[in-house]
Amino acid sequence: MDFLILAQLVVSGIAVGMIYGVIAFGYQLTFATSKTLNFGQGEALMLSSLVGLTVVQFTGYWIMLPIVLAFGMVQGAVVERLGVRQAIKTKSESGWIMATIALGIIFKNLAENIWGRDALKFPSPLPEAPIGLMGVNILPMEIVIVLGALAMMLAVETFNRRSIFGKAVVATANDREAAGLMGINTSLVITFSYALSSMTAAFAGVLIAPVTLTGASMGGALGLKAFAVAIIGGLSSGMGVIVGGLILGITETLTGFYLSTGYKDVPGLVLLLLVLSFKPSGLFGRSAIKKV
Amino acid sequence: MLQVENLVAGYGKVKVLHAISLHVPEGSLVTLIGSNGAGKTTTLRALSGMIRPDAGTIRIAGVDITGLPSHEITRHGLAHSPEGRRVFPVLSVEDNLLMGAFTRLTGSRPRGDVAGDLARMFELFPRLAERRAQQAGTLSGGEQQMLAMARALMLSPKVLLLDEPSMGLAPKLVEEVFATIARLKALRVTMLLVEQFAAAALEVADFAYVLENGRLAASGPAETLKHDPAVRAAYLGAAH
Repeated sequence: MDFLILAQLVVSGIAVGMIYGVIAFGYQLTFATSKTLNFGQGEALMLSSLVGLTVVQFTGYWIMLPIVLAFGMVQGAVVERLGVRQAIKTKSESGWIMATIALGIIFKNLAENIWGRDALKFPSPLPEAPIGLMGVNILPMEIVIVLGALAMMLAVETFNRRSIFGKAVVATANDREAAGLMGINTSLVITFSYALSSMTAAFAGVLIAPVTLTGASMGGALGLKAFAVAIIGGLSSGMGVIVGGLILGITETLTGFYLSTGYKDVPGLVLLLLVLSFKPSGLFGRSAIKKV
Repeated sequence: MLQVENLVAGYGKVKVLHAISLHVPEGSLVTLIGSNGAGKTTTLRALSGMIRPDAGTIRIAGVDITGLPSHEITRHGLAHSPEGRRVFPVLSVEDNLLMGAFTRLTGSRPRGDVAGDLARMFELFPRLAERRAQQAGTLSGGEQQMLAMARALMLSPKVLLLDEPSMGLAPKLVEEVFATIARLKALRVTMLLVEQFAAAALEVADFAYVLENGRLAASGPAETLKHDPAVRAAYLGAAH
């Protein structure tokens, strides 16, 4: 019986953890090309999720998905153009931090004015009754979250490895100046990486919304935890964010149950501090191969 | 093919180049020699748009490219094999070469026969063929230099800029690099070669410019400069 409870907690933790992983993956995408992060990533997720809530009433869940993903891309490109490009151009160390936080706050205010401050129910595309699997209850939407998150990361990785444009993204991440000499418009690559990053956040937002709730205040905590995951897993390791996300998701549900929900954020943040102290490049972080 | 008039460039307020003019005719190999800090690398960086020139004009085949960002200059057919090689360490050797042909593969330059050119590069640099699937970061310094040159050639460029291809290489590899440059010259690739190793550069080049403190100190056919007493004293270790 105790084991069943544990298994149940782990299963719930996995779904949340995969969401953290996808958002953290988004942090990696922009960090790779520009060494900058969108600190409004959580608000990007929130905004897209609320746009999804409005769209879903006209189209249903599955047709809403591509629309919200497209919206996420546009939103990310706007963030890069308004908040990041100038900082990169002037080689500002911190301009982009303030600018992306400011844009995040603006998006949050915008959302509060359009959709209000309350948490809202997001219609689930799948039955909301859990499926029993060997005594463990799993929501169908949780399965979609795990598969969807993996599919999204796999799609981006495949694009980077196989297509000429994806390789141009990797080249820009490796050496921006040299990529420019190849004829690659690296500013455009950075805008694109922001678009892709916000698109993954949008995807995470509409995946998690049917399980939790949505609302103008959903972004902050998710963005921050995913940031912790990106640090724990390493900002350069695709594998790391999955493992980091799962570690955080599972420790959260375990702590929430066995200790107190009041402490559920503590283990993840303690882990974050430990990683920063002992392995600052992240558990799976690697330093780039460089040979002269 | 490459025509530079009164080029002024530098880093911020510090001007490194003071009105440089040079000309690289089609099919020729021109070398730019000079001591450390004379402004050789800065010249190439200004030509390929890695830094923005402050004054002067740069033309490729008559087209003014002054002040364009480097990715647009590349689209006009100027390839630059930069100082320090700058290969993409995480990409494979083959993908590095494909990046050299990025503009051809994405339609901003005539496509031509990319697969054929790739095969020719592997013929010209057999070591790269052996390592085609290997990450470029794992190559030796000499192999990385070959890759940087091959990657630049994959543009099928109108003009190829080579910055210090011999830097940091063992003597045997330096010979190999110069043998490769000679082969490219025989193929009538238009090249501007920057070298600290002046004797070898003058040996292979058609024409040479000597750069001193950001100004041209001398120019002339390589054959003539090789025997010029002042050049010999300053750059060729005149004693012999």
